[in-house]
Amino acid sequence: MVARTPEEFRAKQQIDVRTFHEVIGIETRERRVRVVDRKTQNEAWEAYDELLMATGAVPLRPSVPGADASGIYGVHTLESGIRLRKVLDAQQPRSAVIVGGGYIGLEMAEAFLLRGMRVSLVDKAPQVMGTLDQDMARHVARALTDRGVHLYLDEALEAFAVRNGRVHAVITSQRTLETDLVLLGMGVAPNTQLAKEAGIPLGERGAVRVDRRMATEVEGVWAAGDCAESFHRLTGQPFYVALGTVANRHGRVAGTNMAGGDARFSGVVGTAVTRICSLEVARTGLQTRELEGLGRPFVSQTIESHTRAAYFPGSGTIHVKMLADAATGVVLGAQIVGQEGAAKRIDVMATAISAELTARQVSELDLAYAPPFSPLWDPLIIAARLLAKKIQ
Amino acid sequence: MGTRKKRVVIIGGDAAGMSAASVAKRKNPDLEVMVFEKGPHTSYSA
Repeated sequence: MVARTPEEFRAKQQIDVRTFHEVIGIETRERRVRVVDRKTQNEAWEAYDELLMATGAVPLRPSVPGADASGIYGVHTLESGIRLRKVLDAQQPRSAVIVGGGYIGLEMAEAFLLRGMRVSLVDKAPQVMGTLDQDMARHVARALTDRGVHLYLDEALEAFAVRNGRVHAVITSQRTLETDLVLLGMGVAPNTQLAKEAGIPLGERGAVRVDRRMATEVEGVWAAGDCAESFHRLTGQPFYVALGTVANRHGRVAGTNMAGGDARFSGVVGTAVTRICSLEVARTGLQTRELEGLGRPFVSQTIESHTRAAYFPGSGTIHVKMLADAATGVVLGAQIVGQEGAAKRIDVMATAISAELTARQVSELDLAYAPPFSPLWDPLIIAARLLAKKIQ
Repeated sequence: MGTRKKRVVIIGGDAAGMSAASVAKRKNPDLEVMVFEKGPHTSYSA
């Protein structure tokens, strides 16, 4: 997971990386930051010409009774993942309750299952994976319950039952779930405490407000990654997404500009992919909830097909949902749930959306075919062709 | 006395911070690039 160590950055690139050093304050007018060396507790001012806020995100924590008990974990950093792994190895818990059915929650459900644990998952929403439409999320839920995950949807977390400072049950609006361990997968919020204290304006969902060059509204201060806003190419509006790919893209733009260049962030279309219990899940563009929120008339098409030629070994089911503007037919979103080989097809759709292709144009793409990779008509072609017929 | 190098300070050594540091230094090797990371690790994918 660690692609390059601090020592490598220092030696090979002459970048002065100081780990265990925390910035505790910013004076934007004086252009300096207050830094604490966490090993010695020594504090010092460091001057800057250009400053980048890359403070990341923090996991959302529930404000319910018992939330500060021990035995409640999150996995938002490499360290927190390592810490949880040590707990699992040392204590060998037999059960876990996961709060939140997003990417982290579902990926951790699989990890716990692989350790032979009894896994329950609670979410206040009526579906898992809120970034999918409900009909597509149902396939994911079925895969989880088939593997033995106990799903409790439409159930709000009300409290943690605590004994001797340690959580022993999760109390929902419907039931009490006894457990050895709790994992929080409730999503993240931008970590903007420092920015807020320094008077750097915030925007979408509390992320640092930036322009397309990743500049904040304060002279000499930039922001990138999970603490910063993005913008959605389909709406042109500010958009918040916490993803490593986006963080790297933000970083490249900010780094170029801080070095005197002129780069612009090209925005996101909401592309994401994951795998849960051998089921591949991918999405891009706008989903039904978002389109309804925008009041944008749209049509959609859902199909079921095969990941490879149906007769070919390893061929599996794939579900594709595609959404397009009702008047123009321009593709606005796509979602894929299926067996091995299904998910990376989403990149075709992310490309189609960026190029503003219509459903008809997608249905006429010259996509690759050979039996190990696809049925004769790729599932995307099938979905796009049916979708195109719905447009006046 | 030489003139002080232009200094870029980055708060956070994960994906965004380290990719910005790398790109800035590559684009302008005369920059002084400092990264402050409160934890023990730097980026896992920059």
